[in-house]
Amino acid sequence: MRIVVAEDVMLTREGIVRLLRDAGFDVVGQAGDLDGLMRSVGLDRPEAVVVDIRMPPTHTDEGLVAAQQIRTQHPDVGVLVLSQHIEPSYAMRLIQEHPERVGYLLKERVFDVAILVDALRRIADGECVIDPTIVSRLLGRQRREDPLSALTEREREVLALVAEGLSNQAVASRLFVTERTVEAHTKQIFEKLGLAVDPTSNRRILAVLAFLRSPAP
Amino acid sequence: MRPRVSPNKPAGVAGVVLPVSAVALGIVTLLVVPRSNLGFTTHAGASPAAAVADLAAGLGLIGAGLAVWLLRPGSGSGLLLVSLAGLAWFAADWVGWEGGPPITRSLAMVVAPFFLAFVVHLVMASPGGRLRSRRQRLAASALYSAAAIVSAGRALLRDPFLDPNCWSNCRDNLFLISAQPGIARALDLMWLLVSLTVGLLLAALAIRYLISATPTARLTMSPIVVPGVLLGLAIAAHALALLRQPLESPQDAVFSTIFQVRAWAAAALAVGVGLVVVRGWRARVILARLASDLGEAPAPGSLGPVLARATGDPGLLVVYPLPGSGRYVDGSGATVDLPTAGGGRAATPIVRHGTEVALVVHDAATVDSEQLRMQIGAAARLAVENERLQAEVLAQLKDLRASRARVVEVGDAERRRLERNLHDGAQQHVLALSYDLRLARVGAESAGSPELTALLTAAEAEAQTAIDDLRELAHGIYPAVLTEAGIGPAFWTLADSAPLPVELGGLPDDRFPEAVERTAFVVASEAIDAASHLGSTHVEVRMIRDDDRLVLEVRGAGPGPFVHLADRVGALEGQFTAEAGLIRAEIPCA
Repeated sequence: MRIVVAEDVMLTREGIVRLLRDAGFDVVGQAGDLDGLMRSVGLDRPEAVVVDIRMPPTHTDEGLVAAQQIRTQHPDVGVLVLSQHIEPSYAMRLIQEHPERVGYLLKERVFDVAILVDALRRIADGECVIDPTIVSRLLGRQRREDPLSALTEREREVLALVAEGLSNQAVASRLFVTERTVEAHTKQIFEKLGLAVDPTSNRRILAVLAFLRSPAP
Repeated sequence: MRPRVSPNKPAGVAGVVLPVSAVALGIVTLLVVPRSNLGFTTHAGASPAAAVADLAAGLGLIGAGLAVWLLRPGSGSGLLLVSLAGLAWFAADWVGWEGGPPITRSLAMVVAPFFLAFVVHLVMASPGGRLRSRRQRLAASALYSAAAIVSAGRALLRDPFLDPNCWSNCRDNLFLISAQPGIARALDLMWLLVSLTVGLLLAALAIRYLISATPTARLTMSPIVVPGVLLGLAIAAHALALLRQPLESPQDAVFSTIFQVRAWAAAALAVGVGLVVVRGWRARVILARLASDLGEAPAPGSLGPVLARATGDPGLLVVYPLPGSGRYVDGSGATVDLPTAGGGRAATPIVRHGTEVALVVHDAATVDSEQLRMQIGAAARLAVENERLQAEVLAQLKDLRASRARVVEVGDAERRRLERNLHDGAQQHVLALSYDLRLARVGAESAGSPELTALLTAAEAEAQTAIDDLRELAHGIYPAVLTEAGIGPAFWTLADSAPLPVELGGLPDDRFPEAVERTAFVVASEAIDAASHLGSTHVEVRMIRDDDRLVLEVRGAGPGPFVHLADRVGALEGQFTAEAGLIRAEIPCA
């Protein structure tokens, strides 16, 4: 798979590039800022981009801006945003704008090559990837009346994996159950939580994340 | 309280005698002169319309002189000037008093030429009543000298009986010592040329003034300048007509028309002078009222608007010197830049006990510095002093607030810099370390060294803990999401990781100045912390956008003390209150 890596800190960028090459990916371009990345995407025709959220010129949310531009100009190119912030807002902004082929992972996570490879594969398949830390932060949120207490242990597991962006099939293989079982679980969960969204659609991730964050869930 | 304007000091004996005799003279003129002739020796006698115009001009000027005397303190010169202009105007009627006492007619002959000098002086000296530049003073004295020379020369050397062009008085000149018809004619001609030139110059300069003046100056000065133009043109036209037709006759259509224009222009000038004087008087009444209202403690900055209204210059500013700083501040304590030279603005210092207590910045042409100083007077000077002290305190307060805000801003900037350094430095290095440890562990695993693998696995876990700790530390020092995404997302993150349920409401989508967002965040964050230490079951955080203020309420926390938070909100000129169960911060955000 053809990949472009954008990261302004040389040390980290080289680490990611080495990892990707070792894992058999084809790193076709590297960039240190937003403009460089956009040029490389246009020239090197990658299938996916791994981009640091904070880059020159403003060192704020360049990664999210890049994701939006790439998704608009090159809809087939997947974008994996790396960040050091556990910020659900950023992850939600990312999938709100384009609920497919995007991912938001904490930076240290990608040094586990299995996670990196899995994330890029899922993005290439059209799925979304949300860092488990962010999902568990949202699940662990303190609530006055916890609607999640209505869920069984297994249903909570399924909900977490759905929030991470996994498809029913992926959830099934992760939990060693059949896809049918997962479908039944998700239907049950969405009913219990009162989520009005189609449990099979791409939009379900955002609905779940938003639900976990809603003021009085 | 009724305004009380003290009666002005009369300008000596002349101040009483002159106006009274002037009015008497006017009345006598009205009764006597028009009946004395058949309309050949005076214009006023030629027709009722001419008589009305004649009286309007003369009595108007005398009346304006009286107004000056009554309504403008210490302006003896103004009174004299305007009254004399009126008297000089009537002189022409006395000259033509057929059958009148020869001394009256002879004296009137002497006085008549001075009318030109008086009116030119009058227009130039408006609105303050005194000539302001050396050039103006020079022009006035030259004109007076010319009038004096012509007057004296004709009195001594011209025998009216020998003048072929005499019309108003062909008989009496008691001052004649030697009849010199040639010199007399030369003097006549010279006077005609002077009148022509001065009349045209007056009109031209007045028009130029109207074109180049500021709108305010144009508005306030036009009652004097516009009649000035007309009068100048009429005087020039009269001289021109005489040059073409040396024998003047009130029966002639050209001469009688010119006379009417001249008379009505003079009358209009008189009205204009009256208007300006009344305006000045009104200004003093307003200021006197201000002085008497001092007991009611006027709001800071109220003096400027009162003065602006009183003087008719809407752009007028009162500013106060800030001791030891060289700066000037307005009534509310805000720093003001003084106008640069040129620009049509002038600054008049108000001095009390030898020190400058204020500067009045005003339109240079509309407001006369001397008049202004007089109008402000002793009573209002107290108001000035009062407001100066207030302005000084307010300015110091502003400086203090600004320095407080700067301290907070510097602190925030420093925190932000630290966060960025952590992100780009320590966090990256620990990430790299964690990566290397992982590679080493994988190597040890494949080399079949279980001890080393265990050691490296433990080290990896340590590195991950360091990564988490650094992340928390960086977020605690300065939450990047606050600067990048604003109050909403930052507050959500706060609630996500809070140790107790936090309900959020009314979070604004708008962005605010960094200091405002940061202050709101710090207040919410510390209030939540305090609530969790207090053992509250939950916290409600609510924000209300109220025009130019952002109101933050945290229920379930408090009562504090939160000295640090109060300081922080205070640095932005906001209000902070903490009572049991409710913390409230109002932060100006406009």
